Amino acid sequence: MNKRKLIIGAAALAATALALTGCAGTSSTSTSGPVTLAMWTGFTGGDQPGYAQIVKDFNASHPNIKVVQTVESWDTIQQKLPTAWLTGSGPDIAAPSSDPNVIANYVKTNSLLPVVTGAGSSKVNVSQLAPAAVKELTYKGKLYAIPANFATLSLYYNKKMFTAAGIANPPATVADFEADAKKLTLNGGSTQYGLSLADNQTIQMWPILQWLTGGDIVNSKGCSVLTSAANQAGLTTWANLVMNDHISPVGQTGAQADSLFSAGKAAMELNGPWAAPGYKSAGIDLGIAPVPAASDGSHVTLGSIAPLAISAKTKYPAQAQEFLAYYTAKTTQEKFSLTTGFPPLRTDMGDDAALKADPTVQVFTSQVPDARLYLPQLTNATQVDANAYVPMIGKITRGTSVASATAAATSTINSLTGCTQ
Amino acid sequence: MVPSFAILGTFVLYPIVQSFVYSFQNVTIGGDSTWIGLQNYITLFKDQQFWNALGITLEFTIASVLVLIVVGFILALLLQGESLANRIVRSVFFFPTIVSLVTIGLVWKFLLDPSIGFVGGIFDLVGLPPVAWLTSTSLALPTVIFVNIWKNLGFAMILLLAGLKGVPQERYEAAELDGAKRGQLIRYVTIPGIRPTMLFATLILTIQSLQVFDLVFVMTDGGPIFTTDTLVNLLYRDAFVNYQTGYASAISFVLFLIIVIVSALQLRFFRYNDVD
Repeated sequence: MNKRKLIIGAAALAATALALTGCAGTSSTSTSGPVTLAMWTGFTGGDQPGYAQIVKDFNASHPNIKVVQTVESWDTIQQKLPTAWLTGSGPDIAAPSSDPNVIANYVKTNSLLPVVTGAGSSKVNVSQLAPAAVKELTYKGKLYAIPANFATLSLYYNKKMFTAAGIANPPATVADFEADAKKLTLNGGSTQYGLSLADNQTIQMWPILQWLTGGDIVNSKGCSVLTSAANQAGLTTWANLVMNDHISPVGQTGAQADSLFSAGKAAMELNGPWAAPGYKSAGIDLGIAPVPAASDGSHVTLGSIAPLAISAKTKYPAQAQEFLAYYTAKTTQEKFSLTTGFPPLRTDMGDDAALKADPTVQVFTSQVPDARLYLPQLTNATQVDANAYVPMIGKITRGTSVASATAAATSTINSLTGCTQ
Repeated sequence: MVPSFAILGTFVLYPIVQSFVYSFQNVTIGGDSTWIGLQNYITLFKDQQFWNALGITLEFTIASVLVLIVVGFILALLLQGESLANRIVRSVFFFPTIVSLVTIGLVWKFLLDPSIGFVGGIFDLVGLPPVAWLTSTSLALPTVIFVNIWKNLGFAMILLLAGLKGVPQERYEAAELDGAKRGQLIRYVTIPGIRPTMLFATLILTIQSLQVFDLVFVMTDGGPIFTTDTLVNLLYRDAFVNYQTGYASAISFVLFLIIVIVSALQLRFFRYNDVD
């Protein structure tokens, strides 16, 4: 009864929202002509042409199906999608957001259709997809989305600034990374920062710094490990570099960090492949290198996925499924990677000559095996991020002791994840 | 009548009532709902983030409304003449009112960027160090308040100007015949004469400020470290990022109650000594 009322209420709200925004909703109900599949995504960055190309190629090769992609901001999609999918007025396919564990909410509300997996041109062969991504999108043994992309973060650097500082190569180890960040900071950051770090409204960079020094955020039970010795040491080092050596401005958003690097005011930044076209067009003498090796010699970076899922209420599940299968096909992924610089979703394309020949794709692809996701499949992951992790980084870069900030974050995380040590 | 009631009922009353019902449930859009009575409200009153957001919202509202009414009134007094220069200056002050808050937020965010913004550039030019207007925990809220005042000052001024124009000239003449000076005219003629307009302006600006969201969301998203996290920003995060519809509904009804109480107090205050 309550659920029914909720659905009616949500339907009224969704109808109003959609009527007011004039949004294209669900698939065409026409029985003649091609089936139209509506798709919502938030890909507004430099990688957008890659997704548009997939849709264009799919439509050209599938005369009976027409995918119409609507691109809006992630915030808009986040607001509209839950209700739209619930009431059946939403798109057939959508990328909800790249927040950690975002698919869990939609699985919980039965809004998604499980993806048909297996061999064959209309199925998604999960054995050929990046295992970390498949694991993140699988709930109770069923795959509920495919990764629309699997980005790794790399080290962008300004070659001109490196040359001016007398540094021949990008840092190979975390020790070099710290030293170079200091050396590349000029006049306490007032003329040039060594590194452009973001800590909010961004794909997180700080976990990489923790992983490089042997730290982490939570363990496999969802319990915070921020108070461990490795974390204390690593976070103290980087907080001091920001506060005392001014290697980066404090409290930047992702967009601000990108602008700083684009404007030629920072020598390095950790970022994904979507940023490369913007930096190149801004005239940066750009170098892209893998994230430096960790203190124990191992390699690690952050992997980020944006899931692409099918609505449980789609009228055309088979056609939507066909699109996802096409999306993950080898030829599609090769073209997508070459257009965007993203690594292919598939793990069986390591020998692809075209991808190997592209230095940008090569750097991002080479780090896929070492990539770790941020808060994967963690209960209340978005709250852990917003209420614990982001404030903790904010505090330690503004003078709060690492011990006190990590203790507070640990308490918040453990209460959110239900951890019982 | 029936079409009006149908539209109002469907798009205004029903969502409000339904949202009130959600505030007593553990519910997310599309998920199962369970009746939990006052639990959302109990959790809310124990939630440090709620109290922080309430404090910031009140701070934002008091500072914004006070400055807007006082400065708006002074501007209205100074610019009430109908000369061309006055009309141009009034238009300049009013211009930000017609621009969307999101656009204003984005523009100011860029202008205030300490490294690549216009203000940072000016500071650099005169040899001053860059100021972290939006990333400093002590400056972020005053900065957002300043931008809100900049945006709404023209609106407050125009409202009060309309009030000034409505004060009968005879009252001034009578007061002047009695020997009233400029300050006394303002104190005993102008202010009592525009009290209804003042009430309207204060009420509208207070409600607007208590509901502030766009500006905060665009400029700081509640940061740094929740120092600009207003009630509606918190509500948005709980509803659309954490998908806690019931809890977010409870926040919205507490905010509704606060607006009702504050509005009632303002009505009472402005009726003070009112003979009619």
